[in-house]
Amino acid sequence: MTDANQQMVEQYRNNFLREVEDNVEEGEWVKMCMQCGVCSGSCPFGPHWEHPPQEIFMMIRAGKRDEVLQSDSMWMCTSCYNCIVRCPRELPITHIMHGLAHYAKRLGIAPKNQPTHKFAQLFWNNLTRTGRVNELKLGLALYFMNGIGEGIKTSLKMQKIGLGMLMTKRLAPMELIGGHKCKDAKGLQAILKKAEELEAARIPTAGK
Amino acid sequence: MSDEIKTGAYICKGCGLGERLDCDQLATIAEREGKASIVKQHDFLCNAEGVAMIQNDIDNEGVNRVMIAACSRRSKTEAFNFQNVAIGRANLREGVIWVRPDSDEARETTQEMAADYVRMGCAEVKFMTPPHASEEAASNDHILVVGGGVTGMTAAIEAAAAGYPVTLVEKTGQLGGSAAFEYKRIPEHMPYADPEDTGIAGMVAKIGSDSRITVHLNSTITRTSGAPGRFSADISTESGSTTTENFGAIIMASGATGYDAGQLPELGFGKTPDVVDQAGLEKLALEANGGPIKRPSDGKEVENVVFVQCAGQRSETEGHLPYCSGHCCLTSIKQAMYFKDQNPNIDTNIIYTDLRTPGAGGEDFYRSGQQKGITFTKGAVSEVSVNGSNVQVKFKDLILNQEVNETADLVVLATGMVPNSGVDIDLPVTAADEEVNLDNLVPEVKVESILNLTYRQGPDLPHLKYGFNDSHFICFPYETRRTGIYSAGPVRRPMDMQQAKEDATGAALKAIQALENAKLGRAAHPRSGDLSFPSFRKEGCTQCKRCTVECPFGAIDEDEERYPQFNEARCRRCGTCMGACPVRVISFENYSVDSVGQQLKIVDMPDEFDEKPRILVLACENDAYPALDMAAKNGNHYSEFARVIPVRCLGSVNTIWISDALNSGYDGIVLMGCQKGENYQCHFVKGSELAHVRMSKVDDTLETLNLEKERVETYEVAITDIERAPQLINAMAETVEKVGMSPFKF
Amino acid sequence: MSEVIATNQTILVVGGGISGVTAAIEAAECGKQVILVEKNPSIGGRVSQLYKYFPKLCFPSCGMEINLRRIKANRNLRVLTMAEVSAVSGESGNYSVTLKNAPRYVNENCTACGDCETAVATGFDSEYDYGMKQRKGAYLPFNMAYPQRYVLDPRIIGTPDADKAKAACRYDAIDLDMQESETTITVGAIIWATGWQPYDADKIQPYGHDRYDNVISSVEFERMLDPFGPTGGKIVRPSDGQEARNVAFIQCAGSRDRNHLKHCSRICCMATLKQTTYLREKFEDDFKASVYYIDIRAIDRIDDFYRKVQADPNVSFVKSKVASITEDKETGNPVLHGVDTEGYHRYSNPHDLVVLAVGMEPSVPKDSFPVDVVINDNGFIETDAANGGIFAAGCSSDALDVNRAVQSATASALRAIQVVNRVAGTEG
Repeated sequence: MTDANQQMVEQYRNNFLREVEDNVEEGEWVKMCMQCGVCSGSCPFGPHWEHPPQEIFMMIRAGKRDEVLQSDSMWMCTSCYNCIVRCPRELPITHIMHGLAHYAKRLGIAPKNQPTHKFAQLFWNNLTRTGRVNELKLGLALYFMNGIGEGIKTSLKMQKIGLGMLMTKRLAPMELIGGHKCKDAKGLQAILKKAEELEAARIPTAGK
Repeated sequence: MSDEIKTGAYICKGCGLGERLDCDQLATIAEREGKASIVKQHDFLCNAEGVAMIQNDIDNEGVNRVMIAACSRRSKTEAFNFQNVAIGRANLREGVIWVRPDSDEARETTQEMAADYVRMGCAEVKFMTPPHASEEAASNDHILVVGGGVTGMTAAIEAAAAGYPVTLVEKTGQLGGSAAFEYKRIPEHMPYADPEDTGIAGMVAKIGSDSRITVHLNSTITRTSGAPGRFSADISTESGSTTTENFGAIIMASGATGYDAGQLPELGFGKTPDVVDQAGLEKLALEANGGPIKRPSDGKEVENVVFVQCAGQRSETEGHLPYCSGHCCLTSIKQAMYFKDQNPNIDTNIIYTDLRTPGAGGEDFYRSGQQKGITFTKGAVSEVSVNGSNVQVKFKDLILNQEVNETADLVVLATGMVPNSGVDIDLPVTAADEEVNLDNLVPEVKVESILNLTYRQGPDLPHLKYGFNDSHFICFPYETRRTGIYSAGPVRRPMDMQQAKEDATGAALKAIQALENAKLGRAAHPRSGDLSFPSFRKEGCTQCKRCTVECPFGAIDEDEERYPQFNEARCRRCGTCMGACPVRVISFENYSVDSVGQQLKIVDMPDEFDEKPRILVLACENDAYPALDMAAKNGNHYSEFARVIPVRCLGSVNTIWISDALNSGYDGIVLMGCQKGENYQCHFVKGSELAHVRMSKVDDTLETLNLEKERVETYEVAITDIERAPQLINAMAETVEKVGMSPFKF
Repeated sequence: MSEVIATNQTILVVGGGISGVTAAIEAAECGKQVILVEKNPSIGGRVSQLYKYFPKLCFPSCGMEINLRRIKANRNLRVLTMAEVSAVSGESGNYSVTLKNAPRYVNENCTACGDCETAVATGFDSEYDYGMKQRKGAYLPFNMAYPQRYVLDPRIIGTPDADKAKAACRYDAIDLDMQESETTITVGAIIWATGWQPYDADKIQPYGHDRYDNVISSVEFERMLDPFGPTGGKIVRPSDGQEARNVAFIQCAGSRDRNHLKHCSRICCMATLKQTTYLREKFEDDFKASVYYIDIRAIDRIDDFYRKVQADPNVSFVKSKVASITEDKETGNPVLHGVDTEGYHRYSNPHDLVVLAVGMEPSVPKDSFPVDVVINDNGFIETDAANGGIFAAGCSSDALDVNRAVQSATASALRAIQVVNRVAGTEG
């Protein structure tokens, strides 16, 4: 059987659900959803999600692995917690959304140009280099995230604010060079590398 | 009425009666026209002093007919509750002063109204004997339970635990019913998380060790006759040997049979052994006994199973069941747990349109199911078919809005239950012969009679809807149309095991109540405690059988000479028989053609020049009369020309009252009874309906008398018709004004 | 307070709603001695506050009238109102129960003439109408109250209104000196039938029941239909008294929800379906009803009522738990926000009126129950041998509709009788 048929045949089976349970933070809650839709209705970014949380849970149960993991929907989550507060089953929806996003990222199938994804990567890179967030570099990286043209435009737009911050000592221009570190940056990087290895080992090769 | 009648008439002056009415004149009427031996007035009749005064007259002055002219019979009932005397209540408060304006113009007619009611009250009590129990009252503590499933067993255990001997009759060779073939049951205790042991073995053991319960297996009831307190039933085995026993009351717990899933070929049943119904799944689970459940076709362990809810149910399609069977969603969750508890890696998917897990335990069980990894998909299944060695379920996922073909090792159809309620006695009989034509019946309903009653009206309990024996009353679920016989469990209404046990316990109580009341000759609901019973004058009877056929409770049989045979203990005392009898030979000790007829005749009839019409209102005591009382309490007035007589049920209204009223010069007659028809409210089921039918024939009488048809109206009145009921009376007053006075006044 | 004689062959029924009344009558009609205690001035309970029952759309007072007749006719049954159980001790077959009797300030001379009510002035929130209407300090709880006896609100005692009431009474029925009293009785078995209260809709923050006039609860909506109720039988918006012809019903408001009541309250789906028929009754074809639901639970034989309502073209069903409600300040219209999960379609629907189908919270004092009984997580008393001679009936045992509540009450009557029959057996 071809891959497509395999996928059809395995719809509505629990394989993807189990995969989510094993690999996604709070993934074992996905099965508790009763499809009421309060989360989807409560999300302030709702209109911008391709598939709102409640639909994602149903899609997971329907075995739609690719559509879920490749979706940019869960990346839209701003952690407002409106959904968690109202969910009658008390699903930790926010965490599951982040968990799914992260899992998709680890699998390498997260949407490349999704802004949150990109920013998250920038943040991560920035943080893990020195163990501390270098705000100046991060800010500039954010401006230039979508290309040089965009970067220059944004920088010019923000220059007044930047100057103001400089004057009131809220901005340390020396951060551009090097930047402050934590005590053992190398040790931190070693820890993170090991953690990544352990996580990667759990990712299944295919389906079950 | 052999005892000497001594009437005491008591006129209350409280609640404004003394101010609004000339009570002295009323007293004179009671004495002279009402022929009361003792007539007394009192300022506050219902207080301790007033009541003591009346009691004293009863104890020491030989008063045996008490006529109280005061408030409605529904007020101060406990205060005026005198034993061993006949009591009549002339309703002067709610019936007169509260429905008439307190003005000078109205004073005269208000007084006339009160005077008439005093006359009527005295006339009524003369024809009332304090009722005593029928000699037929029989005593038997033994209860018969038909059906040995969970319901029947529970009824037997609970009745025995209350001290009553029980005989339990079961058709098959073992107790337990359908539950005996289940692996486990839906949990009945917190935390409502896991399937429990069915408990059947425990119940069977309990019955076996209870000396008060006698069990007959492989037996059916081949003949039932009698009445509460004196039922007699033949218990026969297949081989034909019969035991006859006597019982005080009967509980019918014949349960339900699973719907024949063969009627769902589009859902694959019969096309492959891997499509089973819920009973089929239980069988597989029992075979597996905790181990992996295997596919019937090839013995392979089931790795994924799909449950299709509402299979052949909740549907108007021919051959499907038009109702929901109540338990199947919970049962499917339970069955999915059979798989998950054995191996959490088995995929279980329940496809539903509305998931029904009500109550506290229900929702907990649903959550527990989800916790175990059972998935739920809202979807509409269109087809289940065979696909190679697998089963394919075609459905529309209603959430994701997509058509799906899901493959499964095993498919379980959640089909419904069909009650084993025996013969539907209300079905029309074919002209050819008196045997019920099997082809006319709904295919799933078994035609074999369960009780084989010798009642003239038919061998089983009447069905209500869809073959279930439920009573139609939300407030009184056990009150079926056969006194002393109570249905319980899924035969009464679709239900799960826990509810069936509760239902059985309730039915056991009703059975005990019925037989205890039968000992005392007392009626059951709604005229609970009523000792009166119908008797008939054989000499006058024309054997027309109208009483027998029209009795809503099948209380009347036919004897060898073809006369009606009244079974007092089966009677609900509605009086429909009395209303039906064209020669008026049926009566009760305290309610007869005379006790009402004399009332309407004694009303003072002004001649036609006085321009004071008379409108007779016959109001059913269940809904209409309380509505009029409450209308009065709220200050709603009605015509001063109305004279209201409460009747037990419109079904008890004999047309002689109508002709007598018309001949006496009444200008209009209003009959008020409860709602009839499919959503009947009539507390005696058929009474109101029969009255409407009889009154439609009165039109002919009116024509021969040259009277307008509008002079007699029959209405359905609800107890909340506080505005409407008085309006109906006033509408008749307007009609009378329009068509003129009756020419029959003299 | 007349003497109450009870023995350990007496059955005590706590609570005078449909379940308590049924249990009491059924046991009394089997010949048992029964005492029914009710803390309010009248029996009848919450069914007396309903307009109609589902699915027959018949009137609760119809069945209650018959029950009252049966009560009045039965000498084995004594009804004590204004009485509450304050302590229970003992064991099956021998319980000692202390009743706290609140003063009614009106004695048995009362003829329900209403003169005292006319005489007093101060108004109080009517409990019967969920505070939607006022009643006087001297009042009859409702038309079919039993006993048909007025009662004085304790808040007027000591004020001029109390004296006015007393002066107006011609039957010497008002006794301002009545005091709270205590009675201790011995009974053999206890049927606990204290029923339920509507879940407090204010707690469901996103729905704004406490902030928006036109968001009301299902029990409040039901009161509107009573011709003697707060709106004289009209379905209107609380904000401006205009007719509410576009009504939204939100199911599972506070039920099936771990943030509120975990259980399903069973009746709310059928109750909403019933209430859509009220709209048709009042407005004929000129109305719209929208039911926002998760699962419609029209269970067993009465599922055809659901089909009947589905066939009504003016009623639509949306599978969605409403996320939040805001208010259009100009019109006062509540706007419902959410997602229709069948095919994912977002909505922001304005309606004239929003009815929250609130759940049933059992009136079982879980943390302070007078004696040890098995109460489950949802607050209901379970059937358990450990409860001895105490049996839960009606909504004290589970979320039930009237039919099932009566079934439950009848069953509990038998269980109580089993206990007293055993006592009778041992005592000869």
